[in-house]
Amino acid sequence: MNYLRREISAPALLLCFCLAVSVFLSIETVSFYSWKNVVNILEANSYRMILAVGMMCVIASGAIDLSVGSIMSFSAVCMAKALKAELPVELCILIGILTGTLMGAVNGSLIYLTRINALIITLASSYMYRGLSLIVTQGIPITKLPESFRAIGCGDIFGMESGVTAAFVITALMVPLFFFMKWGSYVSSLGGNAEALKRCGVKTWFYRISVFAMMGALASVSGIIVTARLNSAEANAGLNMEMDAICAVIMGGTALHGGKGNLFGTVIAVFLMGLIRNGLTIMSVSSYYQQFITGAMLLMAVVIAEFRERKARIG
Amino acid sequence: MKKFLAVILAATMTLGLVACSAPSEETKAQTEAVQTEADTEAETETAEAAEEAAEAVSDTVKQLYADFDSAMEDQIGKMPEDFGEIKVGAVVISLTNPFWVNMKDCYEAAGEKLGVPIDVQTGTTEGDTASQLDVLMTMADMDYDVIIVSPIDGTNLIPGIIKCNENGVKVINLGPGVDTEALKEAGGYLDATITVDFAEQGQTVAEDMMERLPDGGQVAVLAGLAGAGQSEGRTKGFTDTINSDDKYQLVAVQNCDWDASLAYDATKALITEYPELKGIFCCNDVMALAAVEALGAEGVEGVLIYGVDFTDDAKAAITEGTMTGSMSYSSARYTEAALQMAVMLNEGESFESNVYLPLTLVNVDNVNSLEGWK
Repeated sequence: MNYLRREISAPALLLCFCLAVSVFLSIETVSFYSWKNVVNILEANSYRMILAVGMMCVIASGAIDLSVGSIMSFSAVCMAKALKAELPVELCILIGILTGTLMGAVNGSLIYLTRINALIITLASSYMYRGLSLIVTQGIPITKLPESFRAIGCGDIFGMESGVTAAFVITALMVPLFFFMKWGSYVSSLGGNAEALKRCGVKTWFYRISVFAMMGALASVSGIIVTARLNSAEANAGLNMEMDAICAVIMGGTALHGGKGNLFGTVIAVFLMGLIRNGLTIMSVSSYYQQFITGAMLLMAVVIAEFRERKARIG
Repeated sequence: MKKFLAVILAATMTLGLVACSAPSEETKAQTEAVQTEADTEAETETAEAAEEAAEAVSDTVKQLYADFDSAMEDQIGKMPEDFGEIKVGAVVISLTNPFWVNMKDCYEAAGEKLGVPIDVQTGTTEGDTASQLDVLMTMADMDYDVIIVSPIDGTNLIPGIIKCNENGVKVINLGPGVDTEALKEAGGYLDATITVDFAEQGQTVAEDMMERLPDGGQVAVLAGLAGAGQSEGRTKGFTDTINSDDKYQLVAVQNCDWDASLAYDATKALITEYPELKGIFCCNDVMALAAVEALGAEGVEGVLIYGVDFTDDAKAAITEGTMTGSMSYSSARYTEAALQMAVMLNEGESFESNVYLPLTLVNVDNVNSLEGWK
């Protein structure tokens, strides 16, 4: 019973939040309650969802990754360069994903080898990767990508952009990987007690590096989706995306100290933030309010979670 | 079990509180937005009163507005006397940049004046191309008849424009250009374009500079961000005109990314390398004012400095004489013209060619007669 309460409560709260916002918007506006608008919300949040799912694993492992926005940008730039060199589209996409994976693995290796806080390492690498993007592009967006690439990156699947399907497939794959397989429990244990895990004879280096490599790969996938939608790879892409992702993960009930991840909560939190963005646009409310509301909700979510946890500890 | 029930009850209560507070927050946001609108109206009214007062004294400004109106009428025709119901949306670049904040106010004032309801929207932060597209994608499915877009870069709004095309929403491109080639390739089109001819801005400055430097000399350009349309256009207009006369040597074109401190350092370096430098054209006023500061710090006098945008600070510098001139246009008339085009499109008219906004060079000679120009 206790277990259920802990696992379900954060997403349930957010879900009610989502419902309240949806009901309010359906009553207040004409355009909200329509299939088209649902598609809009899904499309606008597909790449945020992919990032947040990866970030959940990283945070559950007791680390954090501030470089995902920069990885998005640099892997997309590498892919766009390859596309411009007229290599086969599938190969270009592979290049993009491999670049992202490699950058993530570099993050993970540095953190494992130096034992310096992930916050510092990824802060440094986020500047370096963003810098690489700027150096390669010279600040000029790479545009007019081939139509065959855009057909893959944002083509039509089930009546909506392919990014939505990608996001749901990735999330679905994460369920067995994170909750029912060795990889997931070891990654979580890294956040719980890395020393104990090591003494059990587990190769912690593998899990530390692989969780960051996976984050890098997911960041590059979401970079590919953004690039295809905008038909442009640019150095400024993905600016502040890492903060949105971290915000969704924490709001969704994953604790910053790691040890445990809440996938369902993360997904719901991404959509809650998306709903609010969409609602503000539909109601023509200035974007000034958006940041304030997001911040207030994050604060509320963590305060409620903290009190619940404290209560659970005491009795 | 009792404990569990208590927890559930408590959770429901918190939830109730939270759920209630979320919508009320948004309602509050809405009322506040209405209030801001009211404030803006009041401001516009006072501004209009001030403008009237100024127009009474400044014939130059009156003349400028008259020229402007006749030039616009040549291009887009007269505003229809009465027109059907219409709802217009505008997507601007950012509301954290003073230029676009002012444009938003101008849009709303113009909407009030012409009797056209208009909503002005934007992405979250400047440079966030993806969230600007999300805003347009959402607006395309709403009940707007016409949407006026100012994209962050040439391609980021293209999927949204195509969606507008499919939904029968007319699209006007104002200011920074949509990459029409890429748009065409993707299967979309613009219904009208109103913009500033950036090359003409550079050309007008070059002509004024050449007039003031009859003996020729060395000149330089401080450009904005490499690849940005405004910067490239202004630089090209200026250099083409300067290069047409052998008396003038263009010694440097430096990209300073619209940044004051980069422009400051670049100016210092330039004046050390070319002590005979006679004039600098800066692609915006922020960089021009930094150049003025740098020359002041070096104790150099007599270099002509031009900017673009005619900001309040530039106006003060031109009045003082530290800056020579700045290219200007009326944001109020710009947005009014765009709204008029929106109404005409909705009435079934079409615009074959791009509409260009008439430009004015404010310089040390005419700055004092331009009170009330905005």
